[in-house]
Amino acid sequence: MSRVVVAGSNKVIEPVIEKLHELNLLHVVNYSGGDESFEMGKPVGKSSEYAEQLIKLRSIERYLEITDKMPDKQFSTDQVISQMGGILGNLGDEVIATAERISEIDNEVKIKQDQAKSLKPLAALPVNLELLYGYDSLAAFVGTVSSPVEADVSKVSYVNEVFSSGSGAATAVAVFVPVEKAGEVSAALSEHGFSEISVPRGLTGSIAGAISALESDAKRLEGEKAPLQKKLKDIRAQHEDLILAIDEHISIQSQKAESPLRFASTENAFVIDGWLPTDQFDMVKKELEGAAGGRVQVEMLDGSEAEKFVEGGEDIPTKMNNPKVVRPFELITRLFAIPEYKEFDPTPLIFVFFPLMFGLILGDVGYGIIIFVVMMMLRRKFRTPGWQSLINIVLISSIWAIIFGILFGEFFGPLGLWAYIFSGAHHVGLLGTVAHPHAIGIDFGPEFYGPLGRIGPEIAGFAGPVFPMFRLETASVLVLIGISLFIGVIHTGVGSILGVKNELAYGEKKHAYFERLPVLLFQVFFVIGLLGMILGGLTHPLVILSAVVLVVSIGMMVKGPEGVMGVTHVPFFVSNLISYLRLLAIGLASVGVAFAANQLAFYVAMPMLSGGGHDGFTTIAIVVGIVVLVTVHFINLLLGILSPFMHPLRLHYVEMFTKFYSGHGGGVEYSPFGRVRRFLRD
Amino acid sequence: MVVENIVDGGILYGLIAVGAGLATGLAGIGAGVGEQGIGAAVVGVVAEEPGFLGKGLFLMLLPETLIIFGLAVSLILMFAWTPFA
Repeated sequence: MSRVVVAGSNKVIEPVIEKLHELNLLHVVNYSGGDESFEMGKPVGKSSEYAEQLIKLRSIERYLEITDKMPDKQFSTDQVISQMGGILGNLGDEVIATAERISEIDNEVKIKQDQAKSLKPLAALPVNLELLYGYDSLAAFVGTVSSPVEADVSKVSYVNEVFSSGSGAATAVAVFVPVEKAGEVSAALSEHGFSEISVPRGLTGSIAGAISALESDAKRLEGEKAPLQKKLKDIRAQHEDLILAIDEHISIQSQKAESPLRFASTENAFVIDGWLPTDQFDMVKKELEGAAGGRVQVEMLDGSEAEKFVEGGEDIPTKMNNPKVVRPFELITRLFAIPEYKEFDPTPLIFVFFPLMFGLILGDVGYGIIIFVVMMMLRRKFRTPGWQSLINIVLISSIWAIIFGILFGEFFGPLGLWAYIFSGAHHVGLLGTVAHPHAIGIDFGPEFYGPLGRIGPEIAGFAGPVFPMFRLETASVLVLIGISLFIGVIHTGVGSILGVKNELAYGEKKHAYFERLPVLLFQVFFVIGLLGMILGGLTHPLVILSAVVLVVSIGMMVKGPEGVMGVTHVPFFVSNLISYLRLLAIGLASVGVAFAANQLAFYVAMPMLSGGGHDGFTTIAIVVGIVVLVTVHFINLLLGILSPFMHPLRLHYVEMFTKFYSGHGGGVEYSPFGRVRRFLRD
Repeated sequence: MVVENIVDGGILYGLIAVGAGLATGLAGIGAGVGEQGIGAAVVGVVAEEPGFLGKGLFLMLLPETLIIFGLAVSLILMFAWTPFA
């Protein structure tokens, strides 16, 4: 990246902007207004017009429920300009009118439904609606009561008219009394649990008739809505890509028109500051000079001048540059922080370690294949770059899950269990008969590792089942603890080495050798010491060696920039390593649930439903068993995507990145002035 | 003091198993207590700004390290620690 200044006469600002936008290379540094002789530039062209058009277009998009998507069709700029008038004019007005009519209908329907609902309790009253209100000398009480009121009303007011219908708690009444008696009657009514119903005005005829009229009106209006909605849907289907293309076109125009707001300008000239990939400078210079007819000056600042801007707080933009396979993993880097310009981009490391950890945790051929297939299907549906990255990450990870699944001998749970189930060696299998019903249980004994057999030497006194390895077996757990810690040492070690390298790149030798390096030594030799202890107790040479190195590394920390306080981080480094045990732990949880699912289906549900299962299984038992099997495996699969994804993420962010990454605060992503055209064809 | 050997099925073995269970279980409760606050906050943020979901889920996981420590203690108890042997 090089710091570049583009200066020229205001007369050529438009072609310069046009060319810069087209090149899509210059990362513009906004003019901050610190200099008295310059002021902020003014928009060129019809920027307010574009803004208005954009507002209208966006509201059309909202009514049509158009959201950003990948293009199916592309349009040339001429096509867009010629059709823009129609879309923004007649068609747009039609869309807006239709959408507004739909919301009007919704409103009316709601009002009518509410009225019908409030009248429902009164349906059987033998009084017409228009007679229920609008008197000067009469007070009307309309509502429901819980017990007959005629006698009490007569007691209070001799002159009265009471209509009622129904009985019990929901008796509907309409009571008419002279106005002057209203207070007393109201008191009498409230003793009968009177609750008033406000009669909607403007309706006539019998109450039951009014209710059915309201309901049929609501239904008719609903019917009116359907063709309108279909119309919007048709418009959307027909014009979706065009509308998005117009959106893109206007956005580009408005971006160009408003760009001078980011430049410094005087009465007659403008100055654009920005960063440019160094190797592109000559090309950009030539293109700009050509576009402006030589009335523009393009200059690259040399290193020391650019350095001044950086010291003044300007960030050099970073462009992550990774091979295509690795690129999806930039998503994970970005979620944490954009690397600074001088920093190492950790994306390739994530590419190596992340899927490996995912696979180690999930480690099941069946789950791996399902995730792989589902992701392949989703890949076609979700085509925006963010989704694509995510899907590709999981896709690559699922391949590792299959590989580890083969190593662990797992296919929807341990393979051994399947062989056990189907062979019927000790118990009635799906296809077999009972031999020893009492020998049902989790403990298969050491000879039982499925049809693939097992290979591998003894490890530290334990018979090490290496292939396929039953993860729930004690010896395997111990082996996996070792593997997890080993991965942890490599992972944090790489992080520490990069930390040393980073500090050196920033010229901070003391931080490099007395803060980052001792961490590396400490963590590596901590684990070597553990290994020594397992191999030969406290007097093993490895233990002695590592004890020496640990003391030396702590000594180095004391000499470091933080002094004695640096030693307080030691528990943190130990916990960093122990944290990698999650690779084992979550994997065990996952295989445990899969195991339980199989057990539950084949050793609990099926035998129980067929009376002990001594004579084979009944059909219903098999059906129920399979339902149980599928349900539990499905839940486990959902968890099996989430946990193996989030936990390695954490291992990267917390355990690895803290060793080296963005210790100097996050960087700024290179986002050049311009726009990638998606719906527009060049 | 009488030193008992730890034998399969013996009382000491049982006590060790109980201890291992407590180590993981109590650590799990601790992590849960930690996560409840974070979870509530994350749900609040996600309601306002759905884009925060990824970061929120990640923050939720931070206290889960506690369980791992508990589990490490359990594993040591069950498989590696033989004090009276």
